[in-house]
Amino acid sequence: MKKNFLIAALILAGGSVFAQKKTTTSGTIIFDATTSINNVAKAENKTVIASLDTKAGTVAFESSIKNFAFENPKVQEHFNSPTWLDSDKFATSAFKGKIANATQVNFSKDGTYTADVEGELSMHGVTKPIKTKATFEVAGTTIKGKADFNVNLEDYNIDGPSVGAGKIAKSPKISIAVEFK
Amino acid sequence: MTTVSNKKSRLKPWLWAAGILFIAGLAVVYYLFTLKFDDTSDVKADFTVNALSLIDEFAKDNKAANLKYSEKIVTVNGRVSEIEAADTTVNLKFTDTTTGNYAIFAFQQNDATAVKAIKAGDSVTVKGSCSGGNFSEILETTYITFKRSALIK
Repeated sequence: MKKNFLIAALILAGGSVFAQKKTTTSGTIIFDATTSINNVAKAENKTVIASLDTKAGTVAFESSIKNFAFENPKVQEHFNSPTWLDSDKFATSAFKGKIANATQVNFSKDGTYTADVEGELSMHGVTKPIKTKATFEVAGTTIKGKADFNVNLEDYNIDGPSVGAGKIAKSPKISIAVEFK
Repeated sequence: MTTVSNKKSRLKPWLWAAGILFIAGLAVVYYLFTLKFDDTSDVKADFTVNALSLIDEFAKDNKAANLKYSEKIVTVNGRVSEIEAADTTVNLKFTDTTTGNYAIFAFQQNDATAVKAIKAGDSVTVKGSCSGGNFSEILETTYITFKRSALIK
């Protein structure tokens, strides 16, 4: 009897630990490198994997570069080519970080919270530190997260002719949206 | 002695050629900037496969499967494991429950409403542009992504 109780307690404890880490495979990232002379350098990836550990205050995401969908086939081809993201060689981008002001974000209470997220973004074989503001909207067991920031392509050794000629933004806007259920 | 009218008449063909080249250049730029992907449901598939066989192919040899399927239009049949709908998007998943490896399809905007009506367990046929497979460090599984997908039935 005692043994059964102990096993049940361990399973329940284990369950609550795992429940702190929420994941999704349907986050979105919008990559916007449009300029005044090019309004087609914009793409969306709707299959971003993301995780949020509400207890540890850690966040992570990873995305397949080839799954960024552009409206224009030529721009998509350039985006994946060796002069841009070189997706055959560097197939994914990833972010790992933490909420710096985790004490100000209460994931167990409904509300909208502004978080300072710090971490490292890996793209095109280069990893760089990054800081951004993010918004978390808590409603019951659902948590929606959003963040917008810019990346300097030169920092990630992306300096193809299109970037140099100003055909695409040198510092595209990255918009992330995730929903954890 | 060269007269002014002779010079003008020699210049004329060059001006015409430069003008035609300029207009042709503009037409090419306009064409390239306004190109759009065709509706995936109208594009002939390069491959037709069963979902679990496709997932297994990537899990066994990711490199070979990527070479075979990346940027190809693939029709996939299978039993839906999950529909993931958010505010503006809806994705459909086929999952190998023994490994957790999965294939996920992001849809064209005009297919979203029909996909939202699908339930886990339904047998469907979808067609999409395969973006290849990768290993997720977050989930510790192999995943295959598709973009601009269309619901066939």
